[in-house]
Amino acid sequence: MKTRREFLRSTVLGASAAWTVPLFIDRTFAQLHTGARDLATQAVTGKDDTILIVLQLAGGNDGLNTLVPFADDVYQKARPRLAKKEKDVIKLSDYVGLNGAMPYLGSLFKDGKLGMVQGVGYPNPNRSHFVSTSIWETADPRNHSNTGWLGRYFDNACPGSDSTVGISFNKTQPEAFGAVKNPGICLSSPELYRWIHGGGEQVQAEEFFAKLNQPEHAAEDHTPTSGASIAIPAGGKTGGIHGETNLAFLERVALDARVSSKRILDLAAKHTTSVHYDGFPLSRNLNLVARMIAGGMPTRVYYVSHGGFDTHNQQLNSHDRLLGQLDAALKSFFADLQQQGNDKRVVLMTFSEFGRRVAENASAGTDHGKASCLFVAGPAVKGGLHGKYPSLSDLSEGDIRHSVDFRSVYATLLADWLRVPDIKSILGASYPKLGLIG
Amino acid sequence: MLPQADNTWSLNEAAHLLNRAGFGGSPEAITDLHGLGRRRAVDSLLSAADVADAFPLPAWASDEQALADMRVRAEQRREVKIATRNLSPEAAEKLRREKFQQVQKDSRQHTVEGQAWWFRRLLNTKAPLREKMTLFWHDHFATSIQKVKQPVLMLNQNELFRQRAFGSFRGLTQAILMDPAMLLYLDSGSSRKGHPNENFAREVMELFTLGEGNYTEADVHAAARAFTGYELDPLNGKVTHNHKHWDESDKTILAKTGPFTGKDVINLIFDKPQPATFMARKIWQFFVSDVPPEPAITQLAATLRGADYQIAPLLREIFLSREFYAAARVRQQIKSPIEFLVQLLKQLEVAEPPPGFPITGQQQLGQVLFMPPNVAGWDWGQAWINTNTLLARYNLAGFLAKGAGPGSMAMQGGGANNKAKANPGRRAGLGWHGPNYEKIAPAALREHPAQLVDALIFRFFQGQLPAAARTSLIDYATSQRRAGTITHTEVAELCHLMLSTPYYQLC
Repeated sequence: MKTRREFLRSTVLGASAAWTVPLFIDRTFAQLHTGARDLATQAVTGKDDTILIVLQLAGGNDGLNTLVPFADDVYQKARPRLAKKEKDVIKLSDYVGLNGAMPYLGSLFKDGKLGMVQGVGYPNPNRSHFVSTSIWETADPRNHSNTGWLGRYFDNACPGSDSTVGISFNKTQPEAFGAVKNPGICLSSPELYRWIHGGGEQVQAEEFFAKLNQPEHAAEDHTPTSGASIAIPAGGKTGGIHGETNLAFLERVALDARVSSKRILDLAAKHTTSVHYDGFPLSRNLNLVARMIAGGMPTRVYYVSHGGFDTHNQQLNSHDRLLGQLDAALKSFFADLQQQGNDKRVVLMTFSEFGRRVAENASAGTDHGKASCLFVAGPAVKGGLHGKYPSLSDLSEGDIRHSVDFRSVYATLLADWLRVPDIKSILGASYPKLGLIG
Repeated sequence: MLPQADNTWSLNEAAHLLNRAGFGGSPEAITDLHGLGRRRAVDSLLSAADVADAFPLPAWASDEQALADMRVRAEQRREVKIATRNLSPEAAEKLRREKFQQVQKDSRQHTVEGQAWWFRRLLNTKAPLREKMTLFWHDHFATSIQKVKQPVLMLNQNELFRQRAFGSFRGLTQAILMDPAMLLYLDSGSSRKGHPNENFAREVMELFTLGEGNYTEADVHAAARAFTGYELDPLNGKVTHNHKHWDESDKTILAKTGPFTGKDVINLIFDKPQPATFMARKIWQFFVSDVPPEPAITQLAATLRGADYQIAPLLREIFLSREFYAAARVRQQIKSPIEFLVQLLKQLEVAEPPPGFPITGQQQLGQVLFMPPNVAGWDWGQAWINTNTLLARYNLAGFLAKGAGPGSMAMQGGGANNKAKANPGRRAGLGWHGPNYEKIAPAALREHPAQLVDALIFRFFQGQLPAAARTSLIDYATSQRRAGTITHTEVAELCHLMLSTPYYQLC
């Protein structure tokens, strides 16, 4: 028997052409999760650990039009068509301002909850998207590492964690998650992140499915409560441990998928929010992250992406639009977390594979560059401008030079936020910390 | 010569050959191949050909139409250039956008059609090894339509790979130098005397022929100068070598000095021993196993050099070798998404996939035809599998086996971020009612649950399943049988369970 509320949801709301994102997700999860009919807003109290959100701005974000040196003549001259004027920006100092498309981040800055790290990069920068992304994700400027910086964090600093210690909302596993033992999980369409039975005798079929997806050697244990990664090491980006068969590898991933899928659906279905998220993929994914957090997932790192920053052509409108989407998504996300009472547990950092050339190109866009800026946001963050704004006249091949090594940002967040005692086990060396937290 | 296997072979060995040297097949197809004996089976795979008009190209891909389109576009560009001369940058951009909107729309449509065309051919070809080698070369000389943006050039390149699939590796590398899609992909067209672009020179050495460590940075710089002057003629769509823009001075490359052209550089490379070793290893990894035994590679490299880089003798030696059929090789390779999708359709005997199924599957599983992620091609093996793609494989199999029931959502969530939104398929997929289970599981077979399960195991796995899994499946079939006749729905359920396993990801 349908309750009145369910009836309304499945008909009136279902028929509406203009679903909001939370409604869409509620509906989807409610359909999937028959046990989750109670949509009352209540956050399940979960683990109290700190959480890091890594937000990739894919394509090479133009740092100069993000944190704008509006008062610099060199900037104005180098970009006759693209430069932002003083009136276009949210002033943070007499020299720089935030791109005007980001009013929420502007307010966060004024509240002391947004840190802007200036001039971030690495020695001998590479201008290939592919190589430079890899360098950022592996934290290895030689680009030889088979594991990612977050994967090494899961392996070395999260003993006893199952695979949900890291969740990326991507089709493919980000290289940052590459690990020897525990590569986290990856999930692109949450409504598909489960074994879809599709009618018939579901309970019985699911029982058999579970049996078939149980690793051979663990077949005696019929009640796994967490992913396979506790006991058995999982594959990294180049796959698996030396000597492991492909079948053993597949069995492990299958168990991780089955177990994490059930927990994620269970948890995500429980939380709703009155906060409005817009319909762009980034908002949708941050909405899901908020649900996972509300549900008390033991996840320490979430990874989301926002793409389209490769602005070679007519970048003015497209770049502002992308930053506007970012701003709106973060506004909803932090409001949601605050409503849950979880905002103080969360720090978010952005990164992009490189910045862009100082001078605009002939197509009113900008080409691949080197150093750039990044944000660190959250109530626990020490707000303000960190590092020095890079010189626009002392350039390297037309690009600004880095003054902060990106591994210093990683080291700071790992040590001061995720409380990793031994940074060297993850980054291979120690890096000066930046005072981004507290 | 690697130690060769006997002509007599088992049904499962025939299945192994068809899986690896092609895209698998129905039980009948396996039985037919087995009947030939091992040697004639390998010969047939190497000599098979599709009849000339079995896979007609879309009209836009004909030479005449492509040339006409190219001329129209060149004219359009010229007009826009004149029209925007005195406009503000914003107004100029607006005009450009309007003018080229239709071109972009056509290009997206053609991309979808081209992808569908090749997938159909992969599925229904009579020459599966040739198509598999075409896929191999597409991965090796990786080129993406996302950058090339002219679908016809990708189809032309695809035809080049097909025609030369078993031919000379050296000859194909020479042809790639003159290939318009590759030229656009690696920006070689703008590489001129005085301003050489190192992209092509580096990739030729690192990724296409020698492998890292077998050349120096100085070789790359010098080769880049030799590769200057190659240009795409926008009026006939051909690459020519324009000597005006070629750096004709002496260069020292791989310890030889002379006024080399790009063609000369490729010949210099193939005079070295490394390309043979490099290609033998890559072919072995593609067809046999991730970690090749070094003695076998040495042997196969000698075969390749002895055959002046012809690929056919190399393939024949591998597919007739004892090593290829060793227990440690069989059902140990992780299927790539394309292999997974094509095998699945063949095993369920679906010649005409539900519209949208192939492209949605490719997107969800991470291998979209004509869109390798970068010039290094796709990452193979375990890199295909994560929790997300594994569940997607299970659900795509469920959609195909069961049809579009009310609970089926496997066809959603595909190309949300893909500009070539190929989603008419999602709606069309809703009309899919599943494969022909009368044929796959005839009524007589359904009387005996264990026999039914074993027949399906041969269909999907052609080998042993772990005893526990087989027992589990027989239990399931038996429990359905007790309730009466096993219905189509229940056979579909059984198939979906079998396909939703780690074992099914291997071939």
